[in-house]
Amino acid sequence: MQPPTSDLNHVVAQRQMYRNMLQYQLLASLTVALVACWLGSHEAAFSALLGGCAVIIGAWIATKIVARGHRLQQPTAVLLNLLKAELIKIIVIAVVLLAVFKLYLALVPFALIAGLAAAALFSGAALAKSDVNI
Amino acid sequence: MEALALIQAYTGVGIGLIIGLGAAGACIGIGIMCASFLEGAARQPEMIPALQGKVFLLLGLIDASFIIGVGLAMMFAFANPLLSVVAK
Repeated sequence: MQPPTSDLNHVVAQRQMYRNMLQYQLLASLTVALVACWLGSHEAAFSALLGGCAVIIGAWIATKIVARGHRLQQPTAVLLNLLKAELIKIIVIAVVLLAVFKLYLALVPFALIAGLAAAALFSGAALAKSDVNI
Repeated sequence: MEALALIQAYTGVGIGLIIGLGAAGACIGIGIMCASFLEGAARQPEMIPALQGKVFLLLGLIDASFIIGVGLAMMFAFANPLLSVVAK
């Protein structure tokens, strides 16, 4: 069965918004990585990228969960879906950071935090700049 | 050895406070903001597009503060810079 046009528009708008957000996050972490490379070392740049990637992976998985529940109509179900997405996002970020701290021995912690902070701060900015109303 | 244990214990308490208070603050902030947004949207539906961008911006900023807190807590948990003082 073909979904209604308004439903399709809604999904397309949502996807465009999320893609915009992920692009902004990637750009922010790349910028911080470049600055870290210029001020510090290659290890610092890689650490900043890893910090940004932790947030980007978490946000990407969360957007997949939110997009999967776009057909939900009940307010409780919508809120539960959003809560689930947020919970999984935080868990994914924590797991990725745990893996980075355990596995990457030449880590520069402050560069990692800077990359993470930039990616996290730009998610809201990207959503706010979006022209799409959902 | 005792100093090491003391630093680890206080770091554990600090990590709990960073994550716990960060989560509580973010939840309260998002709750207040979304309640105000819904109230504003119900009173003046024509303001929804104008308010929506600001809501997303603030949502991201509030969420970012908690995520940065989680990152700092993970740093203190797995690469504690305070322990190097004792190791010297």
